[in-house]
Amino acid sequence: MTIGSNPEALLEGRNLYCERDERVLFEQLSFSVQGGQLLQVKGSNGSGKTTLLRILCGLNDSFEGELYFQGQLIEEQRDQYLASLLYIGHRSGVSRILSPRENLRWSGALHYPIADADIDDALAEVGLRGYEDVPCHNLSAGQQQRVSLARLLIGRAVLWILDEPFTTLDVHAVAQLEVRLAHHVKNGGAVLVTTHHDLKVDCRHDVLDLDASRVRSSV
Amino acid sequence: MWLWFSKLGSPRWFYELSGKWLPWLYAAMVVFMAVGLTWALLFVPADYQQGETIRIMYVHVPVASISLACFPLMAVAGTITLVWRMKLADMVAKCVAPIGAWFSGLALLSGAIWGEPIWGVWWTWDARLTSMLIQFFLFIGVIALRSAIESQDAAAKACAILAIVGAINVPIIKYSVEWWNTLHQPASRISMDPMAPNPPEIWVPLLIMIAGVYLFFIITLLLRTRNEILVRERRSKWVQDLVRKG
Amino acid sequence: MTDKSPVSVADTQTLTSLGKAFRSTLSRDLLIAFKRRNDILNPVMFFLIVVSLFPLGVSPDPQQLSVIAAGVIWVSALLASMLSLDNLFRADYEDGSLEQLLLSPQPLYFMVLAKNISHWLVSGLPVVLLSPVLAYMLYLPSEAYGTLFISLLIGTPVLSLFGSIGVALTVGLGSRGLILAVIVLPLTTPVLIVGAKAVADVSFGLPVGTHFAILGAMLALALTIAPLASAAALKISVN
Repeated sequence: MTIGSNPEALLEGRNLYCERDERVLFEQLSFSVQGGQLLQVKGSNGSGKTTLLRILCGLNDSFEGELYFQGQLIEEQRDQYLASLLYIGHRSGVSRILSPRENLRWSGALHYPIADADIDDALAEVGLRGYEDVPCHNLSAGQQQRVSLARLLIGRAVLWILDEPFTTLDVHAVAQLEVRLAHHVKNGGAVLVTTHHDLKVDCRHDVLDLDASRVRSSV
Repeated sequence: MWLWFSKLGSPRWFYELSGKWLPWLYAAMVVFMAVGLTWALLFVPADYQQGETIRIMYVHVPVASISLACFPLMAVAGTITLVWRMKLADMVAKCVAPIGAWFSGLALLSGAIWGEPIWGVWWTWDARLTSMLIQFFLFIGVIALRSAIESQDAAAKACAILAIVGAINVPIIKYSVEWWNTLHQPASRISMDPMAPNPPEIWVPLLIMIAGVYLFFIITLLLRTRNEILVRERRSKWVQDLVRKG
Repeated sequence: MTDKSPVSVADTQTLTSLGKAFRSTLSRDLLIAFKRRNDILNPVMFFLIVVSLFPLGVSPDPQQLSVIAAGVIWVSALLASMLSLDNLFRADYEDGSLEQLLLSPQPLYFMVLAKNISHWLVSGLPVVLLSPVLAYMLYLPSEAYGTLFISLLIGTPVLSLFGSIGVALTVGLGSRGLILAVIVLPLTTPVLIVGAKAVADVSFGLPVGTHFAILGAMLALALTIAPLASAAALKISVN
């Protein structure tokens, strides 16, 4: 067990322990992600993948252990951490009443000032050109997911935490997202992702297996 | 001090210690209650205005004073839950809520029984009764919230927040009700104040009764908390050993 | 690829300013309310209907009605505010926008406050604006109109703010039923007492400066603690 955190790592979890409904999800779980690395969190259903990602975001605080961002405890620099984080969870964060453009205006503006032209570019890139002003309840589930994923294009976060981002996407969109993830990683970003699909990305790709609770490299 | 604090936070330690206290508390309660009740019911002189009904005070005032203490207690326990995440504090907070509701209810009931001979009606919108009624509602709200949230951890924190907000509100409710009441029914403000200039033969038995009922409250709280400890720690070794021993 | 530069750790200097984020959240919620006009109409209609029930249930006699008018209008405003509360965080909770709000690098106090203000503008303000009409229908003495209006104007935001705590605590619950009302209504009694008494007192020709001062103090207190409590409660609810 190392004392003192790894300054190289963007995000590091140490000795994480979490139980839910009197069942231990994981214990003594330690891992780190660096810039230029994609870490895929694997595990069977109910192994705590979503819980782990929510703990890392700070949405869930029922755990023990320490979390470090750039070698410093996250709780000591929460704003800095949140400014560097982009999370997409099971719930898309897309209001069904608003249009894609209105949705992105708000979720973008919570972090960084964003021009409408950039929003439209991002929507075009995820294949929603012409849908900018359509209320999201008129979009299909896959299209709503794309609105959510367009946030990856307009945001400036270095750390992406994505929980099952591939569900409801069609084959083409899946490939596009894989390219997007690899691009982000090659640019020095870090990605933490859960998926049941066989991830094919052209970048450093490691796996954190919650069933085994240890990291092994697959590249 | 800190060590003591963290030790107190250990449910097992608390369970064992409170087990040692309980017999003494029982004994003290029986003594205080017996002396207090006998004195209050048989030897206190009848009030020159209220006659024999003054004896209801010896139940009403202790019960009401305890019910007033419950909300701050719950808020303090809630704060400890939120800040230090001490599980024991939440167990206490959970157990205080129904006791507080019961004591508020008893205070209302004894108030009504006392009110009938004095005011001629079972219920009047007297300031104290009204704020007691609202406090009773607040307790009901906390209990309802606790039972509605499935996750024990979330329920603990949510109830802590509600208890703190409620505790901030209790004095505001009390003062606004008194202020509202002064204009509407000044006639109903017959002194129920136990600390009014009364001869010692009135207030000494009252103090004894207050002590007795407080002991009853503490015993009830301990019993409930001990029960809660056993339920929550049922998987731990020490509880299972305890059960096996019978 | 629209992306230009290599990613680096975010610089907090370039973050959206608090003022802009606040306005963005406020205008988003107003836009949602505007798109679902029922959210604006329902509380006002409820208010109108409940108030109209009293002459039917009690008596159409002007003398009796003018006595209870202040209380009826205040209680109805309280109930209308209560019923509209569910809109405050529910949809955001269900679609995940709430998580995004909690994960924004903006101070949560102000984000919750923006949502509360939007909610009050949509559900509280229309009730306040309609109150003189209902006061007329209930034969409230005409000298009390101004007091009723001002007391509601100061009081209904307090109802929204306290209600917000209750909604934040219960937004994650599957079966809410009446629990929101059971939690929130007792907390709002001081506002009801002072607000209704202000109107009653002015009808008797008494001065009401103190009443407004107390209501103002309650609003200040609610503005200080309610968004904090709501924010803490929201964090628990998404947990």
